[in-house]
Amino acid sequence: MKLRIPLFVSLAFAVVASVAWATVNDALSFAKEAAAPYAKQGYTIREDAWGGDLGVKDQQAVTAQLFKGNEYGFWLATDTRGAVITVHIYDSEGKLAETEFWQKGRFAGAKITPSKTGAYYAIVTVEKSPQERSNWALVYGYR
Amino acid sequence: MLSRLLLPFLCGLACASLLAQAPPEAIDLSKFPAAAVDEVVVPVPSEIFNVLDKLGSPNWKAEMRDNLGKNTGNRAQVALLLGTVIADGFIAVEAENSESVKQIGQEVLNLADAINVRKAVIARSKSIIDKADAKNWRAVREELDGALQDVRGAMVELGDADLAQLVSIGGWIRGTEVLTSIVGKNYSASGAELLNQPELVIFFSRRIDEMRNSRLKKEELVGRVRKLLRDIRPLIGKSGISQASVEKINKMTNEIVVVIASEEPAAP
Repeated sequence: MKLRIPLFVSLAFAVVASVAWATVNDALSFAKEAAAPYAKQGYTIREDAWGGDLGVKDQQAVTAQLFKGNEYGFWLATDTRGAVITVHIYDSEGKLAETEFWQKGRFAGAKITPSKTGAYYAIVTVEKSPQERSNWALVYGYR
Repeated sequence: MLSRLLLPFLCGLACASLLAQAPPEAIDLSKFPAAAVDEVVVPVPSEIFNVLDKLGSPNWKAEMRDNLGKNTGNRAQVALLLGTVIADGFIAVEAENSESVKQIGQEVLNLADAINVRKAVIARSKSIIDKADAKNWRAVREELDGALQDVRGAMVELGDADLAQLVSIGGWIRGTEVLTSIVGKNYSASGAELLNQPELVIFFSRRIDEMRNSRLKKEELVGRVRKLLRDIRPLIGKSGISQASVEKINKMTNEIVVVIASEEPAAP
């Protein structure tokens, strides 16, 4: 009996951990899926990604150093079915700087052709979600 | 087949963008909690070289170094050196010098070995060499970007996040040295604007200030890098970077690159 409790606890922990890991990976997989078609348009998609979890209406800023002369695309996704998320790009003065954006359920994206080199902010928002918190992952590419 | 699958997806995205709610034209970034804007995405070297490609045809061969530097056994020095050597890989790619790229690929492996992350870059190193042989320069660039990320990832996994940061900083210093050299030789305001990276410099400074490894933080070389970042900040933190500032940054970064590559311990 003594053995069973730790075994049960460790198994439960393993299941929870694997579920959590799976959802983070799922959000990232979806973000990469959204970005993939743009590689054919000449974008180099960065291998690393940024992510976390947010409550409904919560926002996270990802600060990025962007260079005038490049075009950038940002692709965002969540693993939460039924969630709506957005990403918008602002310059260092807080002005909307993206040239276009799109949103489709668990996917969202924005493009920017920086008018000047400097720091920009990709603002990630969970607009609505059936869950208290939603995992998100963001990737970006340039050409 | 692929285009049949892609077309509806891209059309869907186009429709989605029309239906999406318009975002606010301006936001107050100061109202974001500090934790929400703490991280700065460090650009991969390719992003900068991609812009330099469009600026003209600099003499990349003149920017290459004969001596990439020696491993002194000091972990801070090796991490910084590894960053500079990866940056040299990009310069060799721009110069389309496959022999140098191959030499750099091997050197990346040697330095990674010295800080216990050889395994993470074996495949990359081989790929860099193979693609340099094939003169597939875009692919070599991607592999060099990947090598930098793999090395950093492996260091973080080993609990060496501080050291991983030094690799990035080393790459940034060498990249900035070359960038200022090229811009300085044919100065233009648009070329100099590439140096407008104040958030990145502040981020690197903060990472050094917040190093958990106090021994590493106290290293003479790390101290010099911290001073360099502090001295560079006022030169690039304003719009319009003068030719004099470009030349000053070039001199400052060049001095540190020489120290990093030196076999001697950093002088106080």
